[in-house]
Amino acid sequence: MRTRATLLLVTLVLAAFAGSAKAETKAACLGCHGDKNIIAKGGGHLYIDSVNFGTTTHARIGCTSCHSAVSPDHPEDGIRPKRAECSECHTPINEEYSASLHAKNAGCADCHDPHAVKPPLAVSGEYINKQCAKCHELQKIVASHTKWLPQADLHIEAIPCITCHTGSKDYVITMFVETRDQSRKRGEFRQATYDELVKAAGNKPVASLVDGDSNGFITLDELRRFNRSARRSDMRLWGMMMPEKVTHSYQILDNRWDCTFCHAVGPKAMQTSYVAFPDKAGTVTRVAVEKGAILDLLFGTPDFYMMGSTRSTPLSVAGLLIIVGGMMMPIGHGTLRFLTRKNRKHDASGKEH
Amino acid sequence: MAHKEYVYLTPMPVRIWHWLNALGIVTLCVTGLQIRFPDVVNIFGTYKAAIRLHNTAGVVVSISYILWLFYYMFVAGTLLKLYVPKLDDIKSGLVRQAFFYFFHYFLGKPNPHHATPENKFNPMQKTAYLAIMLVLLPLVIVSGYLLMYIAPLREIVHVIGGIKMLVGAHFLIACSFCAFLFVHIYLATLGQTPLAYFKPMWDGWEEVHH
Repeated sequence: MRTRATLLLVTLVLAAFAGSAKAETKAACLGCHGDKNIIAKGGGHLYIDSVNFGTTTHARIGCTSCHSAVSPDHPEDGIRPKRAECSECHTPINEEYSASLHAKNAGCADCHDPHAVKPPLAVSGEYINKQCAKCHELQKIVASHTKWLPQADLHIEAIPCITCHTGSKDYVITMFVETRDQSRKRGEFRQATYDELVKAAGNKPVASLVDGDSNGFITLDELRRFNRSARRSDMRLWGMMMPEKVTHSYQILDNRWDCTFCHAVGPKAMQTSYVAFPDKAGTVTRVAVEKGAILDLLFGTPDFYMMGSTRSTPLSVAGLLIIVGGMMMPIGHGTLRFLTRKNRKHDASGKEH
Repeated sequence: MAHKEYVYLTPMPVRIWHWLNALGIVTLCVTGLQIRFPDVVNIFGTYKAAIRLHNTAGVVVSISYILWLFYYMFVAGTLLKLYVPKLDDIKSGLVRQAFFYFFHYFLGKPNPHHATPENKFNPMQKTAYLAIMLVLLPLVIVSGYLLMYIAPLREIVHVIGGIKMLVGAHFLIACSFCAFLFVHIYLATLGQTPLAYFKPMWDGWEEVHH
């Protein structure tokens, strides 16, 4: 028993030591690489934004886990270490990506800066599209999609590229608070920054702007309340159709040419939604919204609508009642007309009077 | 031998507009049905085909509406006279006409209104067409264009209250047009013969009954 306890103690001490050693190494690396002066010495790629890096999963494993070639005498030894190999840890993704059409055009770091990379659910659709826009100019993308896709500009604003160009699955609607510059009243809406939301929320958490009781769940009432009042303060919620699961098999999927892939899934498929709030660390945190918000008649998501799949059932019923009302004229009047037909026959020709 | 007397009730430009508009509205209703319920309705093969046809029919209807407005305002100059109910129409004409449709008609009494080129519509028609041609049709056209060009016209959509408000208005007005079609076609059969009112809309001439 005593031996086991000693072993456990030794393991814990070693783990703590290893952790603190990693932290020490990281601090030592960032001592130089976190200082912008290093750019002048060896190029922009040597500078690491320590705040951004601190939010990544990579920060947890420490610099030397990837940069193992760095010698203890670095940088005095004058040896420039080799770049880290992503495939050492991300083997399955690397294999999938290498087989894709995209692989010959861009390496991992071209899309995912390893010192700033964030998990897919911790970034906004706009952020994802910005990675693509590093090479794919927005205007050209809109022009090429316009050839076959109606309202291509609108689609590209409401769907991350990876939704159609990877084997993505399980779609949800994620909304982001948008605002526009107060100085230019008619400026374009854009995603609100963390600082802007802090200012708007006062001394409460930013999510409380929509999640009134800050319980981590946005009810339909809270959503409606925000949407009714948001316009007065030049804010709105902009929705994007985001995949929960993505792959690295970049390709043009055949079924995405077909509008019904999204538009004919039926209202039942569009039940799950979130509001994503930016946080201090530059990532976003999603807060779940009550089911069915997207299908709400007017104020659930006044600025998000997908033809066909997010239609409101009460609105459809109201429309049907109007049409049935119109049909009552031929049915009701026509029946009475038939029953009273003899009253209108005054001559042999059978013409009605 | 008794001869028939005819009156030239519907000039050719109005007839061309009417049938073009009719074809457009029916196309819009049917394509609109697939656009709203693509998971249950597929008439035009693909969703995109339904949208393209819907947009094309919308443009045709809007252009023909502008031509109709131009014709009645500036060529015939009879828009206000034909379509705006007079004080008498509102005070007594509407009730008299409604009484005819829903009571006297069944007793075999004659229609109190006789169509002439200067006074083509009865008070109920005037009121209904005024609402349809000068309120509902412009609204459905404008909301349709806003939905067709959401990204470039987003500021207007924002002022209106968002895309859902716009979709809701467009859909309900469209349903009103669909409802109107049933009423309109049925009422057109209430002439001396079931096809008596269809004839002037085809060749312009209506038989006069004294």
